[in-house]
This record gives sequence, structure tokens and C-alpha cells, in this order.
Amino acid sequence: MGCQPAKDCKLSAFPPIFVASAGEFLKYPKKEALTVMLPAAKSSKLKPGKCPSGFLTLFLLATLFIGVAGAHAEFLKTESRTPYLHNIPLKDAEGKVISVPATVGDNGKPQDPKAPPYSTEMTCGKCHDYSVINQGWHFNEASGIVKPGRPGEPWILTDPATHTQIPLSYRGWKGTFKPSDLGLSDLDFLTNFARHFPGGGVGDPDKIDPADPKMGRMQITGTMENDCLICHQAAGNYNVEARATALKGQNFRWTPTIAAGLGTYGSFRNAGAMADQWHPGKPVPATLPAIKYNRAKFDADDNVLFQVTRRAPSGNCYYCHTSQTALEDARWHSDQDIHLRAGMICVDCHRNGLDHMIVRGYEGESKDRIISEAAIALRARIIQRDDAAISSDDAHKLARRQLESQSGMIDTLTCSGCHANGRLGSPRPIHKGMPPIHFQKLTCTACHSGPLPESQPEIVQTSLAHKLGLPLPARGKNMAPVIVEPVFLYDANGKIAPYKMVWPSYWARLKAGKLTPLLPADAARDADLPKQKAEDAVRDPFNSKPLTDKQIADALESLAEASTNGEPVFIAAGKMYRLEKDKLVAEETAAAAPYSWALAHDVRPARQALGAKGCADCHSGDSPAFFGTTLARGPVALTNGVSKEMWQLRGEDKTWIKAFALGFEVRPFFKLTLLGAALVVLVVLVHYVPRGVGAITAALSAKKPPQ
Amino acid sequence: MKFSAKFSYVVMCLGVAVLTATGIGVFTFGKPPMTHWVLILHMMAAPVFALGLAAVALTWADLCRKGSTPRLGAAAKVLFWIILFCGLVVILTGVLPMYPLFGTGGQRLFYLTHRYAGIVLATAILLHLPALRSRPAQ
Repeated sequence: MGCQPAKDCKLSAFPPIFVASAGEFLKYPKKEALTVMLPAAKSSKLKPGKCPSGFLTLFLLATLFIGVAGAHAEFLKTESRTPYLHNIPLKDAEGKVISVPATVGDNGKPQDPKAPPYSTEMTCGKCHDYSVINQGWHFNEASGIVKPGRPGEPWILTDPATHTQIPLSYRGWKGTFKPSDLGLSDLDFLTNFARHFPGGGVGDPDKIDPADPKMGRMQITGTMENDCLICHQAAGNYNVEARATALKGQNFRWTPTIAAGLGTYGSFRNAGAMADQWHPGKPVPATLPAIKYNRAKFDADDNVLFQVTRRAPSGNCYYCHTSQTALEDARWHSDQDIHLRAGMICVDCHRNGLDHMIVRGYEGESKDRIISEAAIALRARIIQRDDAAISSDDAHKLARRQLESQSGMIDTLTCSGCHANGRLGSPRPIHKGMPPIHFQKLTCTACHSGPLPESQPEIVQTSLAHKLGLPLPARGKNMAPVIVEPVFLYDANGKIAPYKMVWPSYWARLKAGKLTPLLPADAARDADLPKQKAEDAVRDPFNSKPLTDKQIADALESLAEASTNGEPVFIAAGKMYRLEKDKLVAEETAAAAPYSWALAHDVRPARQALGAKGCADCHSGDSPAFFGTTLARGPVALTNGVSKEMWQLRGEDKTWIKAFALGFEVRPFFKLTLLGAALVVLVVLVHYVPRGVGAITAALSAKKPPQ
Repeated sequence: MKFSAKFSYVVMCLGVAVLTATGIGVFTFGKPPMTHWVLILHMMAAPVFALGLAAVALTWADLCRKGSTPRLGAAAKVLFWIILFCGLVVILTGVLPMYPLFGTGGQRLFYLTHRYAGIVLATAILLHLPALRSRPAQ
């Protein structure tokens, strides 16, 4: 390793302060050492093609120290509340600074500004520890380093043609399938969901197995690095549509560059197609297509200005976390979350440190937290920097203690944690006239979150399930998967909370009591399913017409003919359909049970909370919270699905609920009786007590008659 | 003692018996907070107790004032006024939280006051019954 030709030596993004002494070099990783030296080279008026000998000596000395000491890299920080101007050099996956060729080459011919795509790991990771960030909540789903925590929104594998909708999660939430359970590889997962997946985690494996026919493709497509800009861009010019298109073509390596608008595809469109030509054992192409960069994005020193912010704007969160109940053109009906209306943003509550373990904000979350070893190692490094005498072991122990202590902070970022303590000026809840038992029996969200309950839960569409944020034909209310909210269920703490609910739907084979879902491609191949007519496809692009019993029976018959490996069944709308003596029967089974996850937004203000209009909001004979009917939704007629009222879903006693509700009908008389009785007693007390007290004081003060 | 006084006392005692069983019983033997049928029973017994207490107040107050007929001992008289006072507190702390007047802090205060006044009330009635039997020395 030596001084590179002048082209590399011209890096100038680093102020001279970084070139202090040989000791300073120990703080930088090997691949950064050259970068650190170069500003000095510039300041010493280094001429192209030359490297001063003194500098070379210093460099070699530093390299030696690094090699011997093996010191860990220090990530540069500003430690200021002033946002750092991210006018920085781009780096490719090899860590090389990306420099666009001059407009005209040495030979006098025009040159295209072509260069490899930039790598977020190398570019952003220079100052922000990518390995620590990559263990954050958005990226650690398959890592196994964290507890799954409260069940959240699953990815739903949806295929309109086969009427499949299967909740998936790497976290193993009850009611979901792990992709591997269905035979889906990580690449299959990305193929389906990369559009709303931030990268990192399963998208960016530590090692690519070249013998794996699916993962091996990543040698060509590249890995799907954690794309920092999808959350942190502040300029509003990050193109999620271009990103989704790029990812659909498996252009993982190129996607961050394309989505950020830094350039366009040089000479190709689809890395997936290139990868199709490859198979294990075949060499990977030595050169991969370059990005044709937009020169205007680069300054004279090849720096690019990233308009980024630590506090991700809510609009960025909404790309993946939009929930829309006001469908079609009814969005103007929505008031949005009261917190956003008050000027807050999502990350005011959903905070995170460098580890990106975003606070989810539910009660008891701190107990579900595990401090990652990477975060401990990072903190230990800082502790050791501050105290050179502390041993590595002690530093790690101290780091763990500090981080565990800080996790108590999570509890202060729940609804009650914030509102009880007045954080961020939050109003203290008053809850006039509400007996305290409600706080033991209900979550805050039960009354304050989501749409007000009606006789039936509303249909809700989400970014992850319905590709919100991406342009598609108008999504009708029957677009699969149909999700409903609010459904009031008991949470893990025994409190009633509002939930979103979806019913799985898939073709499967039942063998020895075990149900094995068929992937859409297998179902499409083997099942005789009705084909959508071309004219219908225009009108109903999401094939939302429900299946008839006959169509289900035909499909089951064809599946039975295709294979004898298990009895074919169809799971839909809470029931399992099967053929018994050529007759279609449907029964409610646990396998067809809905998957539900808590909803927390949009939060409604106090005067629009459930109960604001009085106790009868819930305690009445037709209250939606108790008697709202949840119809199981799926690709069958609504009347065929399971239908349950809220009290049934919660396993409550209807007679008691009715009796209790009746109590509220007679409550005015009840109160009148009690107040009337109290008035009588009060009058009696007022009449007699002063006289009694007078008599007692008189008796006490009276002189005893002389004996 | 008139029938009306005796009857109202019996009604009040019946009410208190149910309230004590459902209220204190849940905290002593069950799992608070009081819910479901126990709560409904508690609420149904409340008007019985309240009406009984009001009737007792009207029919017994004069008997229990100082210097009245010596048929009742001082202990019985003092306990009567304690019952009346605690009964009033129990009723008000039961019914006022039903109005949107007090926030969570007030509600908790009422709840605790209701609980402890109820305990004192039940104890006072338990002591009052034997005190009624013992006639003062002539």
C-alpha cells in the first residue's frame, strides 16, 4: 500500500486539524489512513503525481502503528446541536472515493460522468457506525439479537390471482409465518417487499454464499444496504418510486444512488436480468454497469451535498407507516394525529440512539429490550477513551450498566410516561368523571387512537400491505389484504386496546394435522382458479371479486388431482374449506384465526376521545366497543366468513355486559336516589350536630354545684 | 321504638351487609378492583343502604340526641352519629365521581375515602348492634 496517484491524493473534505500527530492516525481504520493524510498533502501544495517523502514516512509509520496496535476506528462527531453540513465525498462499495471523470478527457474527447454506485455503508458509515445502526429495530428482524416484543404489523404476502394473503414476519410473532416456513429465501422476501424495506438486515448479509443460487445473485445485484436517506433525507427529493422500480429489478447496488437522484442508469435497467444469466459456479462479471452521475451534484472537490437530518421528518416515516381509513378521495376527512397537529414529529416520541433501536412506545417495552453487543462495544470504546486506566472488561460492564439504565428512558416515552410528566409540554390528562378503574382496564389508545368505533370496524389500508406511497390504480376497499380497525382486544397486560386485524387466506395441504401453505406460484400452477377477464382486469386490477363455493371446490379438486401429498384446503375469512365426500365444508379453525396488531395512531384529542360524550359511548346496549361486529374478511362472500362481536373476541360474558349497560340506563335515578338520601342525612346532621356540640360544650363548661 | 325506626334500621343493615360483602369482601378475599356481577350487586345494594340510612336518620336522630330518652346508652348514641356521618361520606364519595366534576386525582381521593369510610361504617354498625342491646344503668 502506498501513496496513490495524484487523482486519489486530491481528497480535500477533511480539515487540516485531522493531521495532528502520528498518534491521531491510530484513531482511523486502515482504509481511512490515506484519506486522513491527504488534506495535509493538499495544504503542502502537493503536485499531481507526487507524494512528499516526509509524508510517506509519516504514512508508513501510521500504517505500522495501526497494524501493530490494531486500534479501532473512531467515528468523527461534531457533538453540536448545529446540523452538520453533509457536503461529503461519495464512496463506492470498495471504500474508494467516487470521482466523476472530467467533461473532456486527456485525449480531448468528451467523457461520460460514469462511476460505480455509491455505498451508504462506506459513505455514511465513515462517521456513523453502520454495524451498530444495522442492529436497529428496522434492520434486526432476522438477527435474533432482540426479543420480538409486542406483535406489530406483518409483511403480508399477497397475490390477487390466487387470493393469497399470508402474514409474514422474521420475528416469529404468533399468527405469522417466518419466510423460511414457506420456503421463501431472503431474496424472495426482498423481491416481494423491498419496496418498503429500508435495507440492511436480511438485505445486507455479512457474507454472500456464492454456492447459493439465490443469495449468490447478490454478487451481481449487490446487497441491499441500509439506505439512510429513506428516513433521513430532508430535501424531499428522494424518489421512492424510482427506488421501488430499481428494487423490483433487483438493482440493489444501484438503488440508493438512483433514488437519491445522484445519477441515472448508465447502460442497463435490470440487474436481476443479469443475475438470471448467472448460476452457482459461473464466474461473476468482472465489471458491472456504472452509474451515469449528474455532474451538477458534485462540487470541485467531488463532494456531494446531502440535505439530511437526524430527526427524520414525519413524511419520511409515513412512506412505510401510513394507515389510511379514509379511502379513495376521503382523505380530507382526516384530522391527522393530534401530536403532529401540535407541531411534533414522529421521532419526538419514537426516538433512538445510534443503535437505531427506535422506541416503539408501548407499555412494558423496556422489559423487551436487549442491549446489543455492538452498542455495548461502542459505548465501551468511548468509556475507554475517557479513562485510559479502565480495563476492557470493566469498560464493557460499565457500558452495559449505563445502557441498561438509559433504557428506563423508554418508559417515559409512552403515552402515560410523557403526559404524566409533562414532557415536551404535554397536557396532563384530567379525565373528569372517569373512574380510575378505566386506567387498569384500558390502554390510553383504546379511547384516543384510531377511528372512533362504529357498528363494524372500518377497512384500513397500510403502506406495507397496500403499497401506499407508490402510484397504483385507485385502491378499492376490497383490495387484498383487507385489514380492519379498530378491533378491541386484550393486550399482553390484560388491558383492552384497539387493534388492526387481518385474516390469512391461502391454499394449503393438510397432512397429519400440519398445515403447509402453498406459495402463490404453486397454487397458480396446481389450482383451477377462475381467470380474470381482461375487461374485468381493467375495472378491478386487484382481482377483488370473492370466490364462490363452487370455485373453491373446483380449485380444491384440482389441487387434489395435482398431488396426493396432503389434503388440499383453503384458508379464508376465519374458516378452513375442505372437500368431504365431494362436498365443500367450512369450519372455524385456529389455523384460520386472524392476526392482529395494536394500533396507536392517529391519536385523537381529549374532546374526541371515546367517552368524551359520556359513559354511554361504551356502556350502552349497542356500544361498538362491546357489540361491534367484526366480519372476517377474505376472498369469499362476507356472509361466508366468521362473524363475531367484540365481547366474543375478548371472551367476555354478554349477559353481564348487557346488565352493566342497563345500569347506565337507570343511572340518573340511581344518582338521584343517592343524592336525595345524602341530602336527608346532611340535613339531619346539620340540625342535630351543632345542638349536640353545644350541649356537650355547655356540659363541660358548667360549674359543678357545691356539695 | 316505632316500627318505622326498626324497619329502616333493618333495611340499612341489609344494604350494609351486601355492600360490605361485595366491597370489603373483594379486597379481603378476592381480587380487586371490583368488577362484573359483584360490582352490579354492590351498585344495586347502594340505593337500599342509602334509603335505609336516610330513614334511620329521620327516625333515630331524636332518640340519639344528648339528653333524650335514656333507653339508649351513650355508646349507641355516639356510634349512631358516626354511622350517619360515615354513611353520608360513603354515599357522596360513591355518587359524586359519577359526575364530570373531578379529575383522576379527585377520583382516586374519592375512591380511597369511599373505601376507608366504608370500613369505618361497617365497623360502627357491627359495634352498634350489641350497643343497642345493652341498656344503660337506671
